Amino acid sequence: MSANIDHLKEEHHQPSGLMRWITTTNHKDIGSLYLWFSLLMFFVGGLMALIIRAELFQPGLQFVVPGFFNQMTTMHALIMIFGAVMPAFVGLANWQLPMMIGAPDMALPRLNNWSFWILPFAFTMLLSTLFFESGGPAAGWTLYPPLSLQGGNSMPFVIFSLHLLGASSILGAINVIATILNMRAPGMTLMKMPIFVWTWLITAFLLIASMPVLAGAITMLLTDRFYGTSFFTAAGGGDPVLFQHIFWFFGHPEVYILILPAFGIVSTIIPAFSRKKLFGYDSMVYATASIALLSFIVWAHHMFTVGMPLAGEIFFMFTTMLIAVPTGVKVFNWVATMWKGSMTFETPMLFALAFIILFTIGGFSGLMLAITPADFQYHDTYFVVAHFHYVLVPGAVFAIIAAVYYWLPKWTGKMYNETLGKVHFWMTTIFVNITFFPMHFVGLAGMPRRIPDYAVQFTDFNMIASVGAFGFGLSQLLFVYILFLTLKQPVTAEDKSWEGAEGLEWTLPSPAPYHSFDTPPKVE
Amino acid sequence: MTGTKGTIVKLSLVVVAMYGFSYALVPIYDKFCEITGLNGKTNEVAYIGNDIQKDNRFVTIKFISNVANSAPLDFEPSVTEMTVQVGKPYNTHYVMKNNSSKQLHTTASPSVTPGKHAEYFKKVECFCFEQQTINAGEVKDLGIQFIIDNDLPHASGDIILSYTMFDITDSVKETNRL
Repeated sequence: MSANIDHLKEEHHQPSGLMRWITTTNHKDIGSLYLWFSLLMFFVGGLMALIIRAELFQPGLQFVVPGFFNQMTTMHALIMIFGAVMPAFVGLANWQLPMMIGAPDMALPRLNNWSFWILPFAFTMLLSTLFFESGGPAAGWTLYPPLSLQGGNSMPFVIFSLHLLGASSILGAINVIATILNMRAPGMTLMKMPIFVWTWLITAFLLIASMPVLAGAITMLLTDRFYGTSFFTAAGGGDPVLFQHIFWFFGHPEVYILILPAFGIVSTIIPAFSRKKLFGYDSMVYATASIALLSFIVWAHHMFTVGMPLAGEIFFMFTTMLIAVPTGVKVFNWVATMWKGSMTFETPMLFALAFIILFTIGGFSGLMLAITPADFQYHDTYFVVAHFHYVLVPGAVFAIIAAVYYWLPKWTGKMYNETLGKVHFWMTTIFVNITFFPMHFVGLAGMPRRIPDYAVQFTDFNMIASVGAFGFGLSQLLFVYILFLTLKQPVTAEDKSWEGAEGLEWTLPSPAPYHSFDTPPKVE
Repeated sequence: MTGTKGTIVKLSLVVVAMYGFSYALVPIYDKFCEITGLNGKTNEVAYIGNDIQKDNRFVTIKFISNVANSAPLDFEPSVTEMTVQVGKPYNTHYVMKNNSSKQLHTTASPSVTPGKHAEYFKKVECFCFEQQTINAGEVKDLGIQFIIDNDLPHASGDIILSYTMFDITDSVKETNRL
């Protein structure tokens, strides 16, 4: 590894301080930028969630006016999806992909820099709309017309920032695919790639195929509002339902963009702490690919109540249920990986285990929602809110936290405090369930989503959920404290920080050198 | 690096193609609605001539009207119900009144219920999607001529023609300003 260390010294000509971060083309620097930015957005979006939960603590209007409440639900979703979860996964991809496939860096380093630096500007513009006289966007993150067309001046700003975010994601995805397809170490065939690399490769294809469709849909909204077109304006012969079709044609692949990398992380961590190889690697790859393909033919299950021919309802019901098959393959493979393994329960493993259990709960409520006649009852209730928060928070977010704990010693050369990590895990897991589990009940009882006030019979469960939400928010401050403590330590971590960890990244020293592999490693 | 370049070019083409696909979904959706009769979309123009066979069947057509977003308009059909012979053209009209003190621009969108019968309801003349300008206090007749197609399945019930009138004054001004 002395070659790497020499290379590090050569890097002294690079700018220091702030300019280092603005001009950097290094995959690790950009990965860190993405991850820190994601953490910041996680707290911004979380603050909005807490405003929502504070208002819903009891019926009636206490803290905010309904218009602002609607802005909070809209912004919370946009920030969490585009600002927290997606950048976190891109950050992990940046850090890990070159190390995992034995490459020195990403294939397109300058593009990489650009895709990150679009984000702060896009989110500044998005958040600035909250200070407009007419307020921020309030029509929900799905931006359904006609409501979104009737909104205030925020609308073009929101659309332009979404265009920027889409551009950033597409550039990032092109970079990921170009890296994986062209820069693998000799001997690493596609079917020998680590599973996290596979899931990101498939995610990147989903991004490239779906993000342009979102761009098209919101451009149509923009021209409807300002240039007299009538894609969705009923007055000119347009159809608002058309927007829902185009939006969800993007939207459903998007929800798998938010979860497939999480599958990859869990499939990496579970074998490491079970000290066994991943059970059914090939079937994991095929399952991921089938989930991705199916995601393009199920979109209308988000809009069963909109009025569709019976054949359509049945088609979308069955294709949606079909997704449970590859997802089930994954869950059973994870369980089979642990079977008779010598398991230990360090913090990353705990988060990965909680992921399997809680994500599966979210998957089951998803199956319930897939049943068309039942969906007519559940549609737009808190049951839907419970469902997608179960797959996104203990799903995507838990996987991201698990990944950070798992690779932190490799990134920084420093080990986090295991006891505090476990406290963080238990607080997070308990509070996440206190927050989201009662939402199933109020949803089934008929409480609609996106309302600032509700009928009194829903009070008890809403109070429980609000208490859970504040507990969850506070637990994440502990996460920041743990990160802070870790970074303050001296470098002590071993190259191979976990006994059962496998993969090329663990052959590098900890912390990983600035340029990962100058000479490609040999893979048998 | 040629491998990387090739990858970038191919992926960029996919991006452009998918952007185009989002726009292609618009005509695809229209065609789909036409085939399934979804949303009660009607054909814009119909052929009418002496060679069209009259049928000995009669159906009841009901006319209803809506004003979108509580615009300051009265908008009513002149007759609410007609019994018509299949295959024969008929005329009727809607009446619109501007209750405001300003000139308004309006436009109407039609819909036929049940949707699967929309394709047999052929409009020869219609004010659908035409921009109307109506002065303060003015009353306007908006005519339609229609014919029920001979292919209308037997044992069809009543057919309802609905018009929703939109006040588009603001968007007309906005478009002109741009």
